Amino acid sequence: MDSNRGEFLNTMKILIVDDEPIVLDSCRKVLEEDGFDVHLVPSADEALKALKDEEFDLLLVDVKMPKHDGMYLMQKVKEQWPDIPIIVMSGYTTPATITDGAKMGAAAFIAKPFTPDELIKELRQVIQKEKQHEKTESPCN
Amino acid sequence: MFSSTRSKLIASFLGVSFLVGVVSLFIGSQLLYKSVLSEATNRVRLDLNAAREIYLSRIKAIQCPLTITSLEPVFRAALKKREVSELIPRLETVARRAELDFVGIVRKEGETLCGVGKSSLRCKAVEIMNPIAELVFDRKVPVSGTVILSKEFLSAESPELADRARIGLLPTPRAAPRAEEEETSGMAIAVAIPVFEEGELIGVIYGGLLLNRNQTIVDTVRDTVFQHEIYKGRNIGTATIFFNDLRISTNVMTPDGKRAIGTRVSKEVKEHVLTKGKRWTDRAFVVNDWYITAYEPIEDIFGERVGMLYVGVLEAKYADMRRKALFILISIIVAGMALAVGLGYLLANKIMNPVHQLIKASQEVSEGSLTPEIGPLSKDEEMRVLQNTFKDMVASMVRRRAEAENRLIQSEKQASVGRLAAGVAHEINNPLTGVLTYTHMLLRRKDIGNDIRSDLQTIAESTERVRKIVKGLLDFSRQIKLDKEPTEVNRLVGSAISLMDNQALVKGVTIKFNSGENLPMLTLDRNQFQSVLLNMIINALDATEPGGTINIYTATGLSASDTGHKGVEITIADTGCGIPADNLDKLFDPFFSTKEVGQGTGLGLSVSYGIVQRHGGTIRVQSELGKGSTFFIWIPIEENF
Repeated sequence: MDSNRGEFLNTMKILIVDDEPIVLDSCRKVLEEDGFDVHLVPSADEALKALKDEEFDLLLVDVKMPKHDGMYLMQKVKEQWPDIPIIVMSGYTTPATITDGAKMGAAAFIAKPFTPDELIKELRQVIQKEKQHEKTESPCN
Repeated sequence: MFSSTRSKLIASFLGVSFLVGVVSLFIGSQLLYKSVLSEATNRVRLDLNAAREIYLSRIKAIQCPLTITSLEPVFRAALKKREVSELIPRLETVARRAELDFVGIVRKEGETLCGVGKSSLRCKAVEIMNPIAELVFDRKVPVSGTVILSKEFLSAESPELADRARIGLLPTPRAAPRAEEEETSGMAIAVAIPVFEEGELIGVIYGGLLLNRNQTIVDTVRDTVFQHEIYKGRNIGTATIFFNDLRISTNVMTPDGKRAIGTRVSKEVKEHVLTKGKRWTDRAFVVNDWYITAYEPIEDIFGERVGMLYVGVLEAKYADMRRKALFILISIIVAGMALAVGLGYLLANKIMNPVHQLIKASQEVSEGSLTPEIGPLSKDEEMRVLQNTFKDMVASMVRRRAEAENRLIQSEKQASVGRLAAGVAHEINNPLTGVLTYTHMLLRRKDIGNDIRSDLQTIAESTERVRKIVKGLLDFSRQIKLDKEPTEVNRLVGSAISLMDNQALVKGVTIKFNSGENLPMLTLDRNQFQSVLLNMIINALDATEPGGTINIYTATGLSASDTGHKGVEITIADTGCGIPADNLDKLFDPFFSTKEVGQGTGLGLSVSYGIVQRHGGTIRVQSELGKGSTFFIWIPIEENF
């Protein structure tokens, strides 16, 4: 059972959106080592393009980006791919950003800077929650 | 203009004096009128008495010579003997001396023996009724008084008399209607004396005065009682003798200057005096003017009311007197009102001057001056209180303005630091993510030596510190919304102290809590306020050497800046090193810290200040180097911001 779940996790495709290359690099380094399939894009527009081309299991989105910000992206994603869970990350965490993110349907919130352990832990929690959600929903489908 | 206090003051003065004036004028004029009227009425009543005395004395003046004549033996003898030639001269003498209109003698048989001016009658067979002589024959005593004489009697005495007696009735408004057009009878005062010879009544001597057109009595009354006083070309006093309701003898004048003989009395007076037999004293319209009058009935020798005696004084004199007095009264009132206006103006000025000075001072203040001129202190107690209050108000304004400026500077500092912090935090956090993750990824590797691992550890720890500082900056920059709820101050302070008890114990510092009693509940954000208290206690602990004491008090207290506002004051006093005066000003500035590098962010007091400020409160500090510092946190009872 455990190996099956691990396999499932390891094959998960994650799209990371941030205008900061160092953040993208950091995330890729942490997540790839944990076996995730990581795709990186530097803007909201690029992310939408990527989403059209491929299917992703999870989105990791920065809030503050030039041109279109994370909130815009979340809105678009929720319209077209409502099932993809989104984790929001921000360097400037205020109660307002947290509530706004939650309203948009963010699954979790993570404040920059974070340690690899903090990121992995948050990610796993979201995936766990999603799986339970799917399980409870599947009899209905 | 009319809404100014000065005009109101003057108006009220004027109003009061006007009211008092009008009331006194009304009452005064009424009293005056009554007293004048009663004075005049009394006078007229007395005058009527005098007039009656004159009337009666005139009768006595007839009686006297007749009585004397009747007692003369020669006269009696002549009468007995019917010696007319002897009698006539005597009668003539009497008539001349007593100014009589008729004198005569009637013998006991009823026949008229002789009389002045009627020698021709002696032979006349027809006897004419002589009412007065007949009464004497009847009663056998002297009779005197008023008597009505018929036209026949008068004609018999003398045709001249009958002519004088005839008076045409003039139309008089308000008089009772009378059928006849003229009066032919006469009213006379007459006396008849019985003449006795040896106890036997041998005749009667009679004499009298026809009152018709005889003005002697009424003029005597006018000249003696009223002393011929003239008022505006008219006699003040008038007298009249009425035969029935007809003026037969009078000095009341008609408009064309004649005596008003032939005019009649008004119906009411006739009714009152002649019919009912009462006296009349009142104002009445006599012929052509108003008089204060008195009437009384005249009874004839038979006791019948046959006429009236009247006196009256011209009302015009009294009306003028009253008018004059009224004029004086009005003058006094007008003068009083003018005085009131003047006095009101002066007094209003005296009252209003300091007020105007205060208004000017208020304008100065509103234009920005904080040193307004309010003028000399008034002697008036209330005004002085107002002036002093104004001074206090300005002083408090100055204090509050300084306080507000101070707060504004503090807020601006916080805001600018906040914006800076937000920018810095955001920019730093991204590279910090890289540092943190890469360091940790390196630490995960098994193929590194212990020295490298130790260095990486240092990097990781330092980064953690940076992360904390940035988090602190972010916390500071955020305007955290207050989540207020009713809170017991003593309990809140107590729990903050208990959190610090261990640390105090370790350091060897005593924390004493002197909780005030009956403190009101405050509405506070408990979490934020607790962080303020903790920050204060930590600062106090840091400043205090082992063995020292931290005293914490709670008490109700008034605001130091907001005059009179009630609140609760929490005092935290340490026996530590104290704060240099130079640093006191900067104490609440962000990033100001006296602690060693790495021990504090320099944000604690600044954050605390912000929290207390958002509660509408204040933090003050007093400090003495080497003795310790005291922080006062004051929070208002009601929300007031």
